[in-house]
Amino acid sequence: MSEPAVRIENISKSYKLLHRQKGQNDSIISAFAGGLKDVFKRGEERNSTEEFWALKDINLELNKGDRIGIIGRNGAGKSTLLKILSRIVKPTTGRMEYDGRMASLLEVGTGFHGDLSGRENIYLNGSILGMSKKEIDAKFEEIVAFSEVEKFLDTPVKRYSSGMYVRLAFAVAAHLESEILIVDEVLAVGDVAFQKKCLGKMKEISGQGKTILFVSHNMAAIQNLCNKGMILSGGRVKLGVSEAQHAIKEYMKDSSLLGKTKLINRTDREGEGQIRFENIALVDVDGTELNGAHSGQEINIVVETLIKQSHVTNISLAITFYSDEGIEMLTFANHIADKPFDELHQKQKLVCNVKKFPLTRGEYVANVSIYKDSILQDYIREGFALTVYEGDFYGNGRILPGNQPSVLVDYTWKIQ
Amino acid sequence: MKTVITSTDKSVLNFTELKRYAGLFKYLSLRDVFVRYKQTWMGFGWSIVRPLINIAIFGSLRYLMDRTGNFADNFLLVSAGVVFWQLLSTAIGDISNSLTANSNILTKVYFPKLILPASSLLVCLIDFLIAFVLFFIIFVALKGLPPWQFVFLPLVIVYGLTFSFAIGLLIATASVKYRDVKFILPFLIQILFYASPVFLSSEFILNLHIPEALKVIYQCNPFVFILNAFKYCLYGQFESFSITYAFVSLGITLAMLWSSIRYFLNFEKSFADYI
Repeated sequence: MSEPAVRIENISKSYKLLHRQKGQNDSIISAFAGGLKDVFKRGEERNSTEEFWALKDINLELNKGDRIGIIGRNGAGKSTLLKILSRIVKPTTGRMEYDGRMASLLEVGTGFHGDLSGRENIYLNGSILGMSKKEIDAKFEEIVAFSEVEKFLDTPVKRYSSGMYVRLAFAVAAHLESEILIVDEVLAVGDVAFQKKCLGKMKEISGQGKTILFVSHNMAAIQNLCNKGMILSGGRVKLGVSEAQHAIKEYMKDSSLLGKTKLINRTDREGEGQIRFENIALVDVDGTELNGAHSGQEINIVVETLIKQSHVTNISLAITFYSDEGIEMLTFANHIADKPFDELHQKQKLVCNVKKFPLTRGEYVANVSIYKDSILQDYIREGFALTVYEGDFYGNGRILPGNQPSVLVDYTWKIQ
Repeated sequence: MKTVITSTDKSVLNFTELKRYAGLFKYLSLRDVFVRYKQTWMGFGWSIVRPLINIAIFGSLRYLMDRTGNFADNFLLVSAGVVFWQLLSTAIGDISNSLTANSNILTKVYFPKLILPASSLLVCLIDFLIAFVLFFIIFVALKGLPPWQFVFLPLVIVYGLTFSFAIGLLIATASVKYRDVKFILPFLIQILFYASPVFLSSEFILNLHIPEALKVIYQCNPFVFILNAFKYCLYGQFESFSITYAFVSLGITLAMLWSSIRYFLNFEKSFADYI
């Protein structure tokens, strides 16, 4: 066994949470009025504080040349861990050591300035990421070729399309020379072709014996890129560094279990919150609740919501299914297939009818989102989980061979 | 090369590390220069126009207030103060904003943060050089070449910038947590404008009927000595000079610089948590 590339001992990080001492601020006016009153009190006395441990007692050893995927749901402490590793924030307790140069890519295009040209931004961004002028000079041609923006090198980047911007930004980052590379979800950008190119580049980098730490919600990307994986949950290590396949499976099992705990109790939500998902259930045409669906079965997805007013208007929602490898399969969205609902009253249910359920055998999870006037009200990653059993989709007893998750559609073949 | 990080680490001035980040310092400085007048029609013409307007305003104001002296002398004296003050005050302002304005970088990448305030100096210096050349042409046209004391000028500029840097760094550090200072800054600069011999000469202030204590405080302000020294380089004589206060202002400047850097370093590792 060689010396580990990174050793982390008892790293914890706590933040202070501020709580207002009295009164609920449930309207914007009272929130401001409360703020006005607070002006006359000073500092801590106006609030009580609570300690919140974003990370607790993390111990890890990462070996040289490993490509480690860090998996966990929102708020599990992934970003905090990356920020501590890349020395942006200081740990509250513990110590860590690493060998060689470390570079972090927590966002693409850190420090890009819209008024500067592509050429200028390559140098600025490169130096922010820790490259010397010599290194940038040496790699300049390569970076430009990779980003595919040759023609616009002297145009201010604020005139770039978002795709060009991201390509240029990633190109600089991809040519960073360091022994340890920390990457946070930057692959979730650009079009599919470019994402592939990025993944390829990252594989190439890791092939050179560099250690990579990679955070992503995209299980396919993790599977593709990483040989090792670990799971964080609630600021603690739930599964230490192990084989990537194993970690992904464990995480998926874990998240489908969580799908069975009450949706209304989930706290990892995003959005304004005027509408909240309360429950999502799968029922058959007779209204019996199902544990899973068969391919080709007629089913209803019944969504119950909690709304703050007596009714809300202009509602759109979407349920997007992913395979257990994180590949997006299918979306049910009312505003795409039809149009947004005009009005929704309390206690009303939203029902999506699927005549022939099109997914093949396997485990699926769904991200659910709901919008009012196109403004996100509620979003839960993996808010719904579903097991699909083998079923007779084509009504002839034949079943698509193979175990890969896939989508079935009606079609005909004929000779003309 | 092994790096060890613990929760009890203290920031220190690490010159080898700062040297390693010299490239970043260069590009951040250049960014500020390139960006300053981007998308303006006049571009760097503003570096010429801004001091000219300032000179015109304060020069004529001075003339209107006191028509006894020689017009050219009064005008030049005020202009010298205004041109140099523009450097010192914009330096304070830019340095004060340097941390909060770059919060997007601060929270995403590690680097020695001292680079941010330091890199906002270059653009101020370039503006100043342009303004100074302009002023110098007017000066020579009206008054002829300056005396041999002119050679001290770079020293005085460094001295002035050191004090500006000390004030700016203090404000920048405080503003990471308390944005209040953003509102105090304009007043501070305004007060310093009148409490330093920019427009109102030291002679004028010291001859006012005000309590002696105020005059002592006035002379403790390092900018009083710095601006008078600037004029000394151009005229070869001090408006008012006392060796005691020369040392007092040097002492205050160094003490201020030391405590600003201390405060900055104590707080540096928590910037990303608060900004």
